[in-house]
Amino acid sequence: MINIDCYAYSNNLRTVHPVEKSLFAMSTMVVCLTSTTVITPLIVLAFMAGGIIIRAGIPIRVFLNLMFVPLSFLFISVLTIAFSISTNPSGFWLAQTIKGLTIGIHYPDLITAIHLFLKSLGAVSCLYFLALTTPITEIITVLHKMKVPVIITELMVLIYRFIFVFMETATTIRRAQSSRLGYVSMKSSYRSLSRLFTSLLGKVFVKSQELYNAMAARCYTGEIKVLTKKYPISFRNYILIIVFELPLILLNLLGRS
Amino acid sequence: MPEVILEAVDLKYSYPDGTNALRKVCLQVEKGERLAILGSNGAGKSTLFMQFNGIYRPNSGCIKYQGRDITYSNKALIELRKKVGIVFQDPDSQLFSASVYQDISFGPLNLGLSEEIVAARVKQALIDTETTDLVDKPTHLLSYGQKKRVSIAGVLAMEPEVIIFDEPTAGLDPRHALEFMQLLKKLRDSGKTIIISTHDVDLAYSFSDRIAIMCSGEIIGHGEPSELFLQSDLIQRADLALPWLIEMHSELVKKGWLPPSTPLPKTKEDLLRNIPPKSDQQSA
Ligand SMILES: Nc1ncnc2c1ncn2[C@@H]1O[C@H](COP(=O)(O)OP(=O)(O)O)[C@@H](O)[C@H]1O
Ligand SMILES: [Mg+2]
Repeated sequence: MINIDCYAYSNNLRTVHPVEKSLFAMSTMVVCLTSTTVITPLIVLAFMAGGIIIRAGIPIRVFLNLMFVPLSFLFISVLTIAFSISTNPSGFWLAQTIKGLTIGIHYPDLITAIHLFLKSLGAVSCLYFLALTTPITEIITVLHKMKVPVIITELMVLIYRFIFVFMETATTIRRAQSSRLGYVSMKSSYRSLSRLFTSLLGKVFVKSQELYNAMAARCYTGEIKVLTKKYPISFRNYILIIVFELPLILLNLLGRS
Repeated sequence: MPEVILEAVDLKYSYPDGTNALRKVCLQVEKGERLAILGSNGAGKSTLFMQFNGIYRPNSGCIKYQGRDITYSNKALIELRKKVGIVFQDPDSQLFSASVYQDISFGPLNLGLSEEIVAARVKQALIDTETTDLVDKPTHLLSYGQKKRVSIAGVLAMEPEVIIFDEPTAGLDPRHALEFMQLLKKLRDSGKTIIISTHDVDLAYSFSDRIAIMCSGEIIGHGEPSELFLQSDLIQRADLALPWLIEMHSELVKKGWLPPSTPLPKTKEDLLRNIPPKSDQQSA
């Protein structure tokens, strides 16, 4: 989680316009989710992996680790789709019959399962592409431009910033506790942890008050107005996106009919 | 008669929990001066600054800007905050955005300036605080001193008349502390009024045109640095020490190395220049 955040600020696609990156990731995700053949998700997966590893320069290890996160969860859900249990042993592609009950795989189910598996993985890779190449602050700006309600984008700005402030505070308190043997036994661990939460809560309260004061001191009147850095708009990128998406969309349409 | 720009008149303030943080503070800030408010921890410096900016409202007494009372209507508060900027002690509670650029642009945009002007001001503030190369980093990956400089830039970009710095050099390394002092000089040369709070007597002595000493919610003395530091009872009452320059100077005078008429040194260079070479001493 924190790792993703660090790469978002220091990858080779950092200077590309955030709207272009978001557009690329989101449209590809939609294309991938609406795909009708297994080819589309495979192409998407390959392109996103290439984009993340080769273009953005994220280490392969990091990318693979991230892709493994949803894998176990996906695997379980896909297995339940692929396998079926029935008293009628006919129509199975691969089966084992025990005491009149047949456990096995129907061929169409297998295809559905594989397709679903690849579709999900492809969609996840699109999200990772966006998350690894674009800082949250810029994604929020894009949301703001898309007319997402101000209250949501402003909350996102503040929450994102304060996740890190509180994490730092919690780390400091924990370190102070550990250095005074606060976590040597089970009992003291429970006690220390509860004190950590209590004092964190107090600090949250004070910090939020201080933040409000500091913002008021800079003429805050209820709306957070900020300027974002200008990025060069690249027509080449837009054309590349179109050139990439169109064949995939056509493929989807052909597969449907 | 210098013009008084900001003034606290009989200010009293106690926090909701009953702490009497300010017990009758009278202080005049002159236009264009560098004023240091000197006091130990808990003396009430930060609380006083919150009053100057209209964040807290005094229980009694008032704040005057250019001779006029602050009315605490929304409009008056905004006007005051345009003129009086404050850099808080803890940069973590001042930076609200993870993006350095966004945070610095927040203040000037609130002044209703156009985007071009704001962009230019942000750029200048980045240069003045030497944070240009931090602009692409998120605030949570910056060091304390870097965050501090970004929060200073956020206030500089608003170009207020009076800039208040709460404990500005706490947490800065010597090089950046020195650069910060140079920035202050530059600001003063451009006509800004500067108020800093500190418990660092050396800093206050070399930085300021005037010093006010604060102790348990009161201003117990104010005046020119060289006069003020000669009143040792005052310094002791406020739990402060003497600047090393003055201590060294008086020791040298006491032991006869310097004639009593030697003027007080304002900088280390002054002091070193005052000390005569050894051969002179022997021949005399
Ligand atoms: N939010 C608060 N609530 C209650 N008491 C406070 C609060 N902030 C500061 N104080 C108290 O007010 C006094 C003055 O504090 P402060 O102005 O922060 O001092 P300084 O900045 O000179 O170190 C201290 O005794 C402090 O404990
Ligand atoms: Mg303080």
